[in-house]
Amino acid sequence: MAEQRRYRPLASTRQLEKTMTRYYALTRYHRLWGRPLRRPLAWVTSGAPVELLLAFNIHPVYPENYGAICGTRKVSAKLCKVAEAAGYSQDLCSYARSHIGSIMRPDLAPMGGLPRPDLLVACNNICGTVLKWYEALARIFNVPLLVLDTPYLPGEVTGHAVGYVHEQLKEMAADLEKITGRRFDARGLEKRLLLSKETISLWREIREFCRAEPSPLNAPDLFIHMAPIVVLRGTKQSLKYYRQLRDEVKHRVDQGLGAVENEKIRLVWDNIAIWYRLFAFFKDFSQRGACFVTDTYSGGWAVELSPGDPLESLASTYTEIFLNRSLEFRARQMIDLIKDFNAHGFVMHSNRSCKPYSLVQEVIRRQVMRETGVPGLMVEADMADSRVFANEPVKNRVQAFIETLEA
Amino acid sequence: MLQQVKNKNLNDSIGEEKLELLLEEASLNGSRRRERYPDSRFFGYFCSYWPEEIVLAAGYEPLRLFPAPIQAVPASLPAYCCSLARGCLSRAEKGDYADLAGTGFAHTCDTMQCLGGIWQAVAGHVDNTLQCVPPVLLEAPGARRYYLTELQNLLSKIGRLTGREPGKIDLIRALDLCRQIRRQAAELDKMRPYLPSPLVPALLRAGQVMPGTEFSAALERVIPVLKERMAEPGDRCRVLVTGAVLENDSLFKMVEDLGGRVVADDMCTGYRHYYDQLSQPDTPDPLEAIVQRAANMPPCPCRSRGHDYRINYLEQLALEKNAAGAVLVIRKYCEPHAWDAVPAAEQLRKSGIRTMVLELEGADVGGQERTRLQAFLESI
Ligand code: SF4
Ligand code: SF4
Repeated sequence: MAEQRRYRPLASTRQLEKTMTRYYALTRYHRLWGRPLRRPLAWVTSGAPVELLLAFNIHPVYPENYGAICGTRKVSAKLCKVAEAAGYSQDLCSYARSHIGSIMRPDLAPMGGLPRPDLLVACNNICGTVLKWYEALARIFNVPLLVLDTPYLPGEVTGHAVGYVHEQLKEMAADLEKITGRRFDARGLEKRLLLSKETISLWREIREFCRAEPSPLNAPDLFIHMAPIVVLRGTKQSLKYYRQLRDEVKHRVDQGLGAVENEKIRLVWDNIAIWYRLFAFFKDFSQRGACFVTDTYSGGWAVELSPGDPLESLASTYTEIFLNRSLEFRARQMIDLIKDFNAHGFVMHSNRSCKPYSLVQEVIRRQVMRETGVPGLMVEADMADSRVFANEPVKNRVQAFIETLEA
Repeated sequence: MLQQVKNKNLNDSIGEEKLELLLEEASLNGSRRRERYPDSRFFGYFCSYWPEEIVLAAGYEPLRLFPAPIQAVPASLPAYCCSLARGCLSRAEKGDYADLAGTGFAHTCDTMQCLGGIWQAVAGHVDNTLQCVPPVLLEAPGARRYYLTELQNLLSKIGRLTGREPGKIDLIRALDLCRQIRRQAAELDKMRPYLPSPLVPALLRAGQVMPGTEFSAALERVIPVLKERMAEPGDRCRVLVTGAVLENDSLFKMVEDLGGRVVADDMCTGYRHYYDQLSQPDTPDPLEAIVQRAANMPPCPCRSRGHDYRINYLEQLALEKNAAGAVLVIRKYCEPHAWDAVPAAEQLRKSGIRTMVLELEGADVGGQERTRLQAFLESI
């Protein structure tokens, strides 16, 4: 029987809670005061070029983050059922289903649902789902929908793809001028980009600290503490928050304190978290001294901005997002993480909800095992819809996997 | 006079023969291509947005890939993936496509995006898997220019396979053939209400699994024969069918058996594949013509011309063809079509068209579907 190990909590978590509570309180405030103050509220996808919206004083709200909240609070399944009863297939992304469910039944939804949007902004750099999801939202709310089409990159990034995105961004800026009644302010955009840049480098620094042995953070820390870089990207609040987190993580490294006591096994995580079992799932690992030192998901927000003038920089940055890239690119990324973080193995969450993330995983798994020699485990689940999670089989596979690593 | 009758009989019998040929091709779905067309080199593709003109210009025959009737489960894809991707991948893994000059992936849904990468990695098609990414927003600023470059690049890539990049003359020849076929397909589409439901879809599918020139020549003979066979549908219930890929005609046959008639079709493997604005003036640049056609086609759910365009198009099509019912076919795990089914069903119902959403594992329909379809048709 493995001895009970303690999981080291982060002091910054309190600040995180404050930051997020404040953000959602502000969101509510924007619903009421946004219009008179000409600060519309936009629902945006996680890969949208939010700096441009911020430059127009738009307040961004992230249904995907809300989907994760629904998952963590274990209400997704209930909300998904609501959407399914309205005709949305059970095979659609559970963030989308639970979000649509929350619009139909705010009484079942955390915080009574998200405040109504004045505007919808979707960028398809993460998946094709968001286009369909936001089209559905545009029909429900009858508000403008702006879509940014970032062509999938089967190979290297190409000039014509970036050029195309750039053209669209120019039009988006013109549309936003009409919608907000404000002039496009290139300087304002630059400032926002600068804030994003600094926040990204802090998030990178924090992640890099996890190369240390023992690692100061475990995957659940990364998943929880990524919230501000998603919803508050390009703001002073997120910058402030990550400075604090960076200091705490650095302190841990200086003191040789690991997130998991007696770290023996170092692992890499691939795909979105299993939100409804965030701690329960990882506990099986941490109890045996296994720590997830890095992951591909929260790393998606640690990519540096591309150079160039502000709109050009936005165009290439948002086109090059990892989910918009080839299997080969993703395999390389995983191999590099394993090497750089000195990992002994990796776990892939085959996430029914997210096809672009998941369908290529098995091929990547085999390639990574071949090239690095470390074992990889595939676990089938869903990020938010707990109905598809089979606890016993997953537990058994995890145990067997850890035993191989321990041997 | 006698000579005329003789000629007519001869034409009829050639027409009949060609009809048999096309129906046979449709049932084979390209599986016996090597023995039937030993002089042709085929190039596989999946999606109607794949620019067939470029394949033809390179001297290959486009071959639409369909899953095997008996589904194997490839190890490289999870079970929650559509049977089109799974079925074709298992064929590729078995070596069924070893004779192809290559395979083309036009970017559409997330599943196809992933399959393109997997194909390259595991199906032994590292160098001859070509990818082309048309814009999703067909009317966005810069979309046409972007797509034009994408096509030019594709031309160079296919040139590397053949050793010579197709020139303008090759492209124009290919475009002419495609236009001719599309005109013929449009004629077939018009005849649809007066012919048994499974017939036109089978003929349209044949055109996706056999050499284009042979297909067009056969249709030339077949169309007059069909014209003679046209008959008023009587009180058959008029139905619209929309969806992604159907690799056989079992659904159409069932509709017909149950007293319905498919009068309008918006399947990827049906008329949507051939749709062309026939009035469009000849564009001097053939690549430009491909771009224009893609922009003018009724979009599939993976592309957008404004968020209600496709739904409005379906409604219009149903009204134009006087359809009383609509069947929205969704292949299990196909997200784009599942998404669109919700607003499409709502809007069609609002305009008085009875609508059912039919989820199928593959293209085959069985007892359960029969019961549902029967109840549906009786309710109209
Ligand atoms: S399909 Fe995947 S990338 Fe797209 S919204 Fe859902 S979870 Fe996010
Ligand atoms: S059936 Fe649907 S999911 Fe499958 S390849 Fe076609 S569009 Fe994509």
